[in-house]
Amino acid sequence: MTKNPDKKSEPQVAAVGFNRPLLLSPAQDLQGYLAAVLGKMFLLGITCVSLMVVVLIFVFISKEAWPFFATHGIGKLLGSTSWYPTAEPAEFGGVSLLAGSLYVTAGALLIAVPIGLLAALFLSDIVSFRIRQFVKPIIELLAAIPSVAYGFFAVLIMAPWMQEKLHLPTGTNALNASIILAIMAIPTIISIAEDALSAAGRNLREGSYALGATRAETLVKVVVPAAHSGIIAAIILGMMRAVGETMVVWMASGNAARIPAPWWNITQSIRTMTATIAGEMGETAKGSDHYHCLFAVGFLLLVFTFALNLASEHFLSRARRLRGGSK
Amino acid sequence: MKMQLRHLGDKTFTFASGMSVLLMVAALVLILGPMLSRGAGALVFDGTVEYRKMQYDMHGRGQRKPLETQLKNAAKARAEVYRLMDNFAVMVDTSKVQKQAKSIFRQFKIQLSNQVKNGTLAPEQAASLKFAGKELRNKLRRAYKTSNAQEAHEKLDYVLNYADNRQFADSVAGQFFTLARQYKNVVSAAGLKHRETYAKSFREVQEIIKELLGPQPGEPIPDLAQFQYGSTRWGRAKILRDRLLWAETWVAQGPDQPLKKTRTPREDQFAGTELAKLFPIMEQNLEKMLLPQRTFYWQYFIDDSTPGHFFGGVGPEIIGTVLLTLLAMAIAVPLGVTAAGYLVECTGDGTFIRIIRTCINTLAGVPSIVFGLFGLAFFVLYLQPKLGVGSGSTILAGALTLTVLVLPVLIRASEEAIRAVPLTYKEASLGLGAGKFRTFVKVTLPAATPGILTGIILSMSRAAGETAPILFTATVALGPVPKSIFQPTRTLSYGSYDIAVGDRIAAMVPHQQYGMVMTLIALVLVLNLTAIIIRRKLESKLRGH
Amino acid sequence: MSEQMTNIEQTTVVETEPDTCCEPLKPTLAPAPQCAKVSPEISETSQPVITSDKFCFYYGKAVGVKDISMDIYPKAVTAIIGPSGCGKSTFLRSINRMNDLIPHTHTGGVLAVNGQDIYDKRVNLVNLRQQVGMVFQRPNPFPKTIYDNIVYGPRLQGVRSRSKLDAIVEQCLRDSALWDEVKDELKKSALALSGGQQQRLCIARALATKPEVLLMDEPCSALDPVATSRIEELIHKLKVDYTIVIVTHNMQQAARVSDRTSFFCLGELIEYGLTKDVFTNPTNRQTEDYITGRFG
Repeated sequence: MTKNPDKKSEPQVAAVGFNRPLLLSPAQDLQGYLAAVLGKMFLLGITCVSLMVVVLIFVFISKEAWPFFATHGIGKLLGSTSWYPTAEPAEFGGVSLLAGSLYVTAGALLIAVPIGLLAALFLSDIVSFRIRQFVKPIIELLAAIPSVAYGFFAVLIMAPWMQEKLHLPTGTNALNASIILAIMAIPTIISIAEDALSAAGRNLREGSYALGATRAETLVKVVVPAAHSGIIAAIILGMMRAVGETMVVWMASGNAARIPAPWWNITQSIRTMTATIAGEMGETAKGSDHYHCLFAVGFLLLVFTFALNLASEHFLSRARRLRGGSK
Repeated sequence: MKMQLRHLGDKTFTFASGMSVLLMVAALVLILGPMLSRGAGALVFDGTVEYRKMQYDMHGRGQRKPLETQLKNAAKARAEVYRLMDNFAVMVDTSKVQKQAKSIFRQFKIQLSNQVKNGTLAPEQAASLKFAGKELRNKLRRAYKTSNAQEAHEKLDYVLNYADNRQFADSVAGQFFTLARQYKNVVSAAGLKHRETYAKSFREVQEIIKELLGPQPGEPIPDLAQFQYGSTRWGRAKILRDRLLWAETWVAQGPDQPLKKTRTPREDQFAGTELAKLFPIMEQNLEKMLLPQRTFYWQYFIDDSTPGHFFGGVGPEIIGTVLLTLLAMAIAVPLGVTAAGYLVECTGDGTFIRIIRTCINTLAGVPSIVFGLFGLAFFVLYLQPKLGVGSGSTILAGALTLTVLVLPVLIRASEEAIRAVPLTYKEASLGLGAGKFRTFVKVTLPAATPGILTGIILSMSRAAGETAPILFTATVALGPVPKSIFQPTRTLSYGSYDIAVGDRIAAMVPHQQYGMVMTLIALVLVLNLTAIIIRRKLESKLRGH
Repeated sequence: MSEQMTNIEQTTVVETEPDTCCEPLKPTLAPAPQCAKVSPEISETSQPVITSDKFCFYYGKAVGVKDISMDIYPKAVTAIIGPSGCGKSTFLRSINRMNDLIPHTHTGGVLAVNGQDIYDKRVNLVNLRQQVGMVFQRPNPFPKTIYDNIVYGPRLQGVRSRSKLDAIVEQCLRDSALWDEVKDELKKSALALSGGQQQRLCIARALATKPEVLLMDEPCSALDPVATSRIEELIHKLKVDYTIVIVTHNMQQAARVSDRTSFFCLGELIEYGLTKDVFTNPTNRQTEDYITGRFG
């Protein structure tokens, strides 16, 4: 702050009783300064813990994954579908794992996106406030159920049902995992899409209705396009939930490391990257090839979800910008 | 015309979107319903006298006198069953009684030579008695071995002819006659012929009865708790009884068709034998043998479990989960709330805060298994040896991993709560001469408490339910209750996984499986409900009601 | 009260008449009776409490106020009036350095309280703000009990004894004419009070730190007329012991309540003087236009 060094700063005799000094003594000044600086540094340090943790995660996962990339190269992991890490010689072809992750994620999204979007539209526009207040906690409850409980349901209740009623050779397969993952991803999609839809604003909707559009047309042709950035972000975040899920796929997908044949048969067992890490790490000797390979798979997962994160952030900030501009 | 289509489209859209929401609600009910209701079966069920016996033996629960009376009554009801089984066993598998016959003869020989030694018997008499005894033994054994009922009766009658002979009847050899009489009762034409087929079926029957009623009195007690008691739950007992009364056989339906499973009454398999009487008894009197009564096993949440979770509760798992969660929150809450406070109060909009935000968002998006890998690589394999703890799973490592998992959620929720505090409170406080720090602690934080508390409780429920981060860092499937944070522990989340897919025994006790996952779900639900209630109450208090 | 009501009516009547000279204004806008009590002699000879010399305040590049030079005299009510956005609140909030909360601002000139330039780097903000209290536009009691709201300031000053705090609470509530209404409910949440009661509570809270000056930033704008008049009565009562600076967009309120009035427009001080002079005989054309309602 600039001030005018002026004669008037000399204290004059005042007519009123200001009996507490308005100037800090040098000691107080120093004390205040030190406290502020040290305090800020301390708080900054604590805040930087989150920064430090992210760095540590990248460092340590890469550190343990590097030996695999150094000796075998990433081509091996991405080049073949033969995943036999405990055989002699060991084969680390991870394409079947990648395909497995892809299958369940795509399957989950195919189910979750339409249902989630429709539900978000229903909650934000079609239904009264009271019903919304009643339904939202139910959806949030779905999000709160632990993933191992979902996996439990998938393997003990849904798999036998699938085997019996759909006459499948096995109930733990890609379809089972996809359905459960969809149920887990939908609350995320609903919550973020709903925010995006609400932020589109009443003016937009009123403009469309005033032109004689039905509600469905307004929502589909005006509101959803206006909120598209937020909706895309919602889908990406749902995708992240599905890709990163471990327990459900470990229990429900059958854990067969192969690409289904024919490719469209989702009632076959597959195996995802996450389930592989979870299932095999416990029996692996620390420091072995297999160990480093699992870290390499984890590294791929980390990079992939990081990229998805950046993408979702991009879309969310776009949504915020567009929203800010229109207002 | 187009107008109608548009209206139709509108109605269809409304319907479809309503169906989506209904689908989600239905999914919730379908998923939670069975798991919670079946899990409740671990707490409330019809327990049999075997159950009460087990509880008394293992934990000293229940009163001795009434229990003994009940056991006595049950034993009375079971006596007939055991008798029939023993007799039939003798017929089916005579090796035991053959051995018995041999040992009787040996003892008879010893007795005879003792008598000669002390002069009560003349050596010639002893020799002829020995010879006769051997004959008896051989005839008896032949009777046992033969599958011809007539021959068996002949040999038995031969033996029994000597029953009146005082010299035999009063000595050890008298036991021959008991055996012979027993066997005579059991032998029937039908039985002997089908001895082999009976053997297999009878073994099955024996197995089921053992599962139902436990080890027979007089038999040695097995080592595993699972086999020390009969069926502790009436529901399971009924299933076993059904398996006892009905046998499943594969029947060929046609030349090229697959075999079909059909049920036939097991009684038919033993038609004509004495054992056939067993089945109606079991059908009607099982209740008297097991004395079921409504039980509320609330100690399920405290008790440890026997190997394989066959009996017992989830006490250690609950302890493990609670320890991990509380420790994780104890570290995460100060870190997270402080960081949130700093972000809101002390930073503007510069690059630094954008970097921190990206970091928090990144952390929020990392898959839980990657957190587990990180926890393994960093906390378990790198930090722990540095602290002198040794690189194995520990509660500490697991809690630290969970802290890292939960931190972004906590920071976000706290930040939102702190930002939501109206600026005027801050202004009022500063206007009264409070410094920034004091304003934050005395005015902003208390006002943000409902939001922060909600965030804490929701993070707690997340930490309690996560499995992947603690797989390699803290949890084991079997192990004692931990005594320090430098040991691994069982947890509800991993235990649910293990009991669902890993454990062969657990499939026999589905109520244990569902019980564990129900406990986990109940814990999470309670935490979530608490968060909602606390938030509502504190918010209304802040609004002045 | 009735005189004030008549003034309002007559003012309204005056406003609908076409452009005339100042003559008709003379008799109608008579100042409130209390104003006559503050004799001009005292005001001129006593030292000003707050002085500003070409004080400027900038929000980044935008001007908040420019070249404000005015003296505020003790134990009197000084009103600052002017149209929206003219810098009244900016100037007021500069006096207790509340504008420090806003980033990227800087000042020019001198703003001194009790002779001390308060934008000096060594200023003890805590003591400044405790001696220059503020009441805000919207009542903002803390979400605590009435008791805790009032003792917040004294506790900061280190007062711990329960009896002393109780005495302070009673005194302040009496001074702000709230004691009778809440004396049995001191432990009730402050947010359960009505708007007018909350504002009086905020005044009591400000009084608890024993300030010399009371800054009031449009204290009645969020209140209904009945509550407003009670606050105005309170201001009359308080001015005996405190120096009060009140920002208001309500001219009639300024006329009713203040001894001196200053008129700000677009960040500059246009006119400053005794209220009766400013309202009946404004020297500046802009002032006259504003007072007669031609703009603003």
